[in-house]
Amino acid sequence: MSQAKQGIWVIVEAPAQFAGSHSAGGNAQERYQELLTPGRQLAAQLGQPLTVVVLGGSGSDAASDAVASSFYQYGADHVVAVRHDCLNEFQPQAYARALSECIDSKNPAVVLFAATAFAKDYAPRVSIRSKAGLITNVNEIAYENGALIGTKACMAESLLAKISVAAGQTQMAVIRGRMYEKPTPDTARSGAVETWSVNLNAEMSRTKLVQIQQPENTGRKKLEEAEVIVSGGRGLKEAANFNLVEALANALGASVGASRAVVDAGWRPHSEQVGQTGKTVSPKLYVALGISGAIQHLVGMRTSKTIIAINRDADAPIFTVADFGIVGDVFEIAPLLTQALKEQNLVLTA
Amino acid sequence: MSPFNIVVFVKQVPDNTKLKPEQLTGNSLPKEGVDMIVNPFDEYALETALRLKEAAGAEAQVTVISLGAASAKEIVKKTIAAGADAAYLLSDPVFLSGDSTSVAYALSGALKQLVPDAKIAVFGTLSLDASDGQTGPKVAELLDWASLTTCKNAEIVDLETLNVWRETERGIEQYTMALPGVICMMKCDYELRTANIKGVMKANKTEIPLKTPAELALEPALVGAAVATSQSENVWPRPAKTAGIKVDGSADAKAAVDKLIAYLRENKVL
Repeated sequence: MSQAKQGIWVIVEAPAQFAGSHSAGGNAQERYQELLTPGRQLAAQLGQPLTVVVLGGSGSDAASDAVASSFYQYGADHVVAVRHDCLNEFQPQAYARALSECIDSKNPAVVLFAATAFAKDYAPRVSIRSKAGLITNVNEIAYENGALIGTKACMAESLLAKISVAAGQTQMAVIRGRMYEKPTPDTARSGAVETWSVNLNAEMSRTKLVQIQQPENTGRKKLEEAEVIVSGGRGLKEAANFNLVEALANALGASVGASRAVVDAGWRPHSEQVGQTGKTVSPKLYVALGISGAIQHLVGMRTSKTIIAINRDADAPIFTVADFGIVGDVFEIAPLLTQALKEQNLVLTA
Repeated sequence: MSPFNIVVFVKQVPDNTKLKPEQLTGNSLPKEGVDMIVNPFDEYALETALRLKEAAGAEAQVTVISLGAASAKEIVKKTIAAGADAAYLLSDPVFLSGDSTSVAYALSGALKQLVPDAKIAVFGTLSLDASDGQTGPKVAELLDWASLTTCKNAEIVDLETLNVWRETERGIEQYTMALPGVICMMKCDYELRTANIKGVMKANKTEIPLKTPAELALEPALVGAAVATSQSENVWPRPAKTAGIKVDGSADAKAAVDKLIAYLRENKVL
């Protein structure tokens, strides 16, 4: 009989910065901070400590230590750094081995990940290595009768499912961004960063990062992070007419999205596609210009808090999810809306 | 020299554009009895595999492996029509129980048995139905292969190495991957090919072998629910969003915009 599992872990991936990219910087940092909210809830419910485990390179510099120790302010009981040369750059096999080794030696009860591309790559590998049940793309977690329960969307956001990981194994979940508010930092809290060592060698990892081409800086937030999105569809008739979308987006401080049809037509990059084979977004305000609203688009945006649609066709499916729809000519209405917002100096309510 | 073997894993999933709430009963997603399609990202996986095959030369082969109900044969045949060289369907009631760990054990076992010298395994990065995104990396771990998810493109450097591009929070990342390896595709920039007449005729003539756990020499303790580490408790439709206000702006656009602004102010959006 193995020793009882003990402790709630929140995992932070912190590979070295590469070509000026932000690994644990910027918004990514916030994704990890948010995990402390469900982490603290579970710690209180189970009466167990909350440990933040930072996986990263061998270098221990003041800046990375400061980032690690800042998690004390967000409610960590312990902050641990797992450092190794093989973790300098992100590599799925090395990260999986490192975390798995920690899990197997320390036996945590629950391990929480943020839904980054890192976690998509290595959390399933850890699940196999450590025989630990894993729930991914989770909106909300709970702990009932010894089981970790994750509520998640499936069938392209049209269904919700409850998935459980039973007691007796380390229970893991990958939690989507912006599902929990990050805790208010308590600046009075601080602590030292402990170090755990792991045995890795370079041969264990057979992928190597060559370069990162950063997205063009448009001055707009990424779609997944945006609070307001203005999207355009085929109703705009041609690529150049996306200037209507851009103008309205500028007035609202919004990010720009697109329907699959216009991405496939080459008007806009895939990174702007909202929907089933693109991004799933849930901003406070979503404005659809000239988008008819195929189900594949609706599944990517229907959880937005307020939806505005402007379309010529009164029967367009987009109106079935719109809180406010205008049937009419987008070329006439969009500029009037942009102008009115500017004149009245209207911005999104905080 | 043995051929350069590429395996593509495709999954039959319910067509969410046709799925009705009353078709959802019990604690998990329907695996048959509703309109089924090939998982959208798996179409890009197949396309990527066919492109890698073309780049690798005449000695390359693409083998499709699917796990699902017997009805998945139709979807598997479509992959032959599109250009796959061979296809198998893992079909047995026990395969339909369990979770992504169960599926990963079955698929990695099938790969070892059916295409033992495979160099590349291609998956869709996420399935439409379960939306877990776990199967590809789990198979890689079981095979002790390299893996990358959310890939957009892959290119053969030589028969031991791939260049892989993926889209993440950090931008477009380029990796080299030492083979054998697993790549999990998201939507790619390239167009999907459509089957030609010759392909369709070939697909019609091709028998899709059904494989059971015993034929794949899988240990019973490592099949289906026996090896699962998570359980689906229940599934229910997300509450439908109802249509709100709709105004006609065709006659007086200005009045419609004023109403919209008033609405946004009243509801404290702006």
